Amino acid sequence: MLELNPILVKDLRSRMRGARAYILLTIYLLILAGVTLLLYAAISGDVGNDLNAGRRIGQTLFFTIATVALIEVCLITPVLTSGSIAGEKERQTYDLLVASLLTPWQIVWGKLVSALAFASLLIVAIVPMMSLSFLFGGVGLTEVLIAIAGLFVTAVLYATIGLFWSAMLQSSLGATGFAIGTVIVLLLGIPFVIVIASLILGSSALSNLLDSVWFIYLSRFVAALHPFIALGTTASHLSSGGNPFFEIVRTGTANVIVPSPWVLFTILALIFSAVLLAASVRLVQPAPSGADRRKRP
Amino acid sequence: MASIVETCDLTHRYGSNLALDHLNLTIPEGAIFGFIGPNGAGKTTTMRILTTLLLPTSGEARVAGVSVTREPRVVRRLVGFMPDFFGVYDNMKSWEYLDFFGRSYGIPAQQRRRLIGELLDLVDLGHKRDEPVMSLSRGMKQRLSLARAMMHDPRLLILDEPASGLDPRARIELRELLRELRAMGKTIMISSHILSELAEMCTHIGIIERGKLLAAGEVQEILRTMRPHRIIEIRVVSGAARAEELLRTHPDVLELRREGARASTEAEAEPLDDETGPHTLLVDFAGDEHALGDLLALLIAGGVRISHFAEQSSDLEDIFLHVTKGIV
Repeated sequence: MLELNPILVKDLRSRMRGARAYILLTIYLLILAGVTLLLYAAISGDVGNDLNAGRRIGQTLFFTIATVALIEVCLITPVLTSGSIAGEKERQTYDLLVASLLTPWQIVWGKLVSALAFASLLIVAIVPMMSLSFLFGGVGLTEVLIAIAGLFVTAVLYATIGLFWSAMLQSSLGATGFAIGTVIVLLLGIPFVIVIASLILGSSALSNLLDSVWFIYLSRFVAALHPFIALGTTASHLSSGGNPFFEIVRTGTANVIVPSPWVLFTILALIFSAVLLAASVRLVQPAPSGADRRKRP
Repeated sequence: MASIVETCDLTHRYGSNLALDHLNLTIPEGAIFGFIGPNGAGKTTTMRILTTLLLPTSGEARVAGVSVTREPRVVRRLVGFMPDFFGVYDNMKSWEYLDFFGRSYGIPAQQRRRLIGELLDLVDLGHKRDEPVMSLSRGMKQRLSLARAMMHDPRLLILDEPASGLDPRARIELRELLRELRAMGKTIMISSHILSELAEMCTHIGIIERGKLLAAGEVQEILRTMRPHRIIEIRVVSGAARAEELLRTHPDVLELRREGARASTEAEAEPLDDETGPHTLLVDFAGDEHALGDLLALLIAGGVRISHFAEQSSDLEDIFLHVTKGIV
């Protein structure tokens, strides 16, 4: 009979035993519910009584829930994995794993899947709350599915960032610090680059550059590195009746077909995740000759 | 006897620090091999190379004829490793701990269930099966760790300082357990600082210092080789001066000392007075059993009254100090 990955079984047992996992899930849902309730209270009086009022409430609730969930996934998933391999080193169980018949791939994959299983639980837990927006209208199934896919892909990317630092460093604290630091740099750095680039290009005589095909692709590529920008622009594209998988950008000379930002984000996130996963596997090896991490005579 | 461990010019460097210097070590199958050396001698480095956790800088190490560098996965099947620390998982019961490592060695579920019961009974932890690992005493954790190292039925067990930090009872239990494992046909490589314990349980020893193997072989052979002469302790009730006279002129007596005196300086001083006795004399004796009997007869015939005449047993501690003297 095919057996589950031993690391996955062990980590799931440990993670779901005790109150910690349930407390985290409760806090996560309470924050979401609290924000949703406050928002509903704030906007329900302002939308008026016309036919589109419910639609506007539905859309606002949906985007708010998706955004808060995305923030939480960005912060929680790297923490779930940053302690995984570094924790084995701290508990002095790392050597026992490496000296067993487990391959580095099994160790890294088991750690990733156990963290993603919990992240998936967090994502699935928001679906009932997201479905509230259906009651008001204005949101279709496509939007919900893209939001769920975007959350999941974000969880994969940020989990592998945590995993990489966990394999690289010796302490959970250090790995968590570097993982969160990387996430913050990505989330703040990319918008900063976009703003600076827009200022430079907007004020220069290079405005014809903005219409070039390569610039369109490059700008979409940079924007697609950021989950909030990618999913936000997709949502606005969909609300204006666009295709969920691609969009047509009209330039002065031609129409350029580009993949929808969420598609591009998914592809890029999965490529980066694969690279980080491979790097983590490479790091989980017995120390090479003369370069043992812990100098033990 | 076929050898299960063989190292050939095994060398390992940590930067500029030479941890192992062309180590040539052989451990026969079925032996309990005590690996002795001061801190930093290279014991753990050797063990980590044999468990495939560390690649040597140069040289070769083989377990049951399999190269640790070329076929590490095959070696991992042959070796059970118990490091000098006990890695603990939170929220894990004793059986789950063994189950996890059983899975890690690819043991099928049915066999794993049977093995967990048998191994917990073997290490006398059957009654702690559902207890969290964290709640076990240090001695129990060591025994559980030994059971873990046995999960995949390895031919060679490598135990790094297994007795460190254990109370006397736990040490005795561990020693008995190792004897039981040897009776099951396992080869055991064990490092320890408690040399008297190693002498009691080991069939072979290797003494290492600064990465070099100073001596290795069967315990009795090492004791014999390192101490070619024996020390005889004689307690003289009366006739001590006469006894000294007879012993000094005996051809097999290499050195004569009075207990508590330093070498020969005091031995050459005033003759012993029986009034201040009884006195104890220590004799480095080069003769065999017959010569020893003759010496006793000579002393008695010479009018010396003796209350104690016995050979001092030299132990591993003496050998260790003798071999490693002046190098550290």
